[in-house]
Amino acid sequence: MFAFLKRQPERPRIAQIRRLTLFATLGQRELRVVDGLLHDRHYLRDEIVFDQGEEGQALYVVLSGSVLICRQGEPVAGRIAVIAAGTPFGELALLENVPRAAQARAAEDCVLAALSRADFTRLFETHGAIASKIALQLARDLGQKLVARHVAMESRPL
Amino acid sequence: MKKTPSGFGPLTWLTTIVITTLLLVAATKALWLVVPFLLAIILYYLLYPIVLRLILGGVAREAAAALVAGGVTVLAVAIMIPLVPWLIAQSVSGEETLFRYLEGGRVLIDRTLLALESQFAFLKRLDFHAEMSRKATEFGNVFVQKQLADALNGAATWLPSLLLAPFFAFFFLRDGRQFVTLLLNEVPNAFFERTIYMVDRVNATARNYFQGLLKLTVIDSLLLAFGLWLIGIPGALLLGVIAAIFEWVPVVGMILGCVLVVLVAAADFPNDPWVVYAVVALFVAVRMLDNFLFIPLTIGRSIQMHPLPTVLMVFIGGAVAGVAGLILALPLAGVVSAVVGTAAGIVYDPRLRARNRFAKALQLRRATADLSP
Repeated sequence: MFAFLKRQPERPRIAQIRRLTLFATLGQRELRVVDGLLHDRHYLRDEIVFDQGEEGQALYVVLSGSVLICRQGEPVAGRIAVIAAGTPFGELALLENVPRAAQARAAEDCVLAALSRADFTRLFETHGAIASKIALQLARDLGQKLVARHVAMESRPL
Repeated sequence: MKKTPSGFGPLTWLTTIVITTLLLVAATKALWLVVPFLLAIILYYLLYPIVLRLILGGVAREAAAALVAGGVTVLAVAIMIPLVPWLIAQSVSGEETLFRYLEGGRVLIDRTLLALESQFAFLKRLDFHAEMSRKATEFGNVFVQKQLADALNGAATWLPSLLLAPFFAFFFLRDGRQFVTLLLNEVPNAFFERTIYMVDRVNATARNYFQGLLKLTVIDSLLLAFGLWLIGIPGALLLGVIAAIFEWVPVVGMILGCVLVVLVAAADFPNDPWVVYAVVALFVAVRMLDNFLFIPLTIGRSIQMHPLPTVLMVFIGGAVAGVAGLILALPLAGVVSAVVGTAAGIVYDPRLRARNRFAKALQLRRATADLSP
């Protein structure tokens, strides 16, 4: 009679989210809560995700394809990084109400999952444990990006 | 930095006022639908945290929504079962009680006018007491025979539709998020972040307003009940709750609540005018506490509009849609202003529109790639 209350098998969508580094530490139930907050967006190659200087309202995770991070309007000369599938970008907008530091545009056709700042902030109020786990993963990701950038600058020829 | 729009110019104010007024006029035509819809929204914001807890506990969203909405319906029925016979018993003596309170009010006015005449001779020369008494009697007759009867008939017509409230609340709880997702799916990528900002503002406005309103009602109920109990008014808790609910009507709600309790006090304590004065003083004190302490702490700045269009909207709401307009004007104007503000932000941002045109051109190029001769 109460079969509808029983644990449900992991859906392909949940399995897809679990593979993303940002949500890797979440349990299945927690992933279902997060799934309800994510918005999938489809971008064509060269389409702009956000502009440098724009007020950010969401963080993105690349589900498929890749995204180019560059200086505003300089996709070749101003190239900063290419974000591969499974990696988040635009995370500073989630932590603080700051302008986007660079432009993001689709390097190829891609699908992105967006998590809005408002939903993330509310997650801290309603599901503190989930929000803390995401924040910890975010901090790890930012740390790795910082180290990679530092190493890249150190190894640059003088 | 290109700021997401939060400020409003005169044109957006005007658009907000016009759209809100049209929506209020439409609301008056379908009050039987608007009232349960409004209650369902309040229920949604009250029950949504419980649904989230259940989802985290492993229950599927659909089942969680059904459990919570069903639980509230069962609880409401359980409360109504003993309450209905009591209400029917009360309604038998209801008419007698109503006339007793109206008579109490008439006597109070009568005595106050006589006291005024004895103080001011010019009032006596104008025959102020007789004239005002005649007008009060006329108003009383019209009020009971026409307005009160019409109001009761109207309420009886749409009262069964209140059963729609838990039904609506269930669908809001189950599909509310899906509705937002469907809405956002229709939005072009260029406007996506502006739209999630708008959705959040609409959600925050409605949630903060209705949750704040409920908190304010509880605080005012307790304060008024305690004060009335100290004064010695019978049924202090019930009167406190009713007067606090009257405050859902901005501006005039508190006055109506005060008049109601004054009528009870005047009828129950006909020879003690100080009880009436104490009641009025209590309502003034609670109003001041509300204005300076409780409203900022509860409803606060949930309606992010300038005070001028806000007050204007309340009066327009009352003029075009009566009591329903007074109650709905502020939350509706808050929601409409969020939508209009976002739309204006997109219309006035050439970069966003250019990005949208660019995305469309990319789509067109992709769609026609193999069609060139």
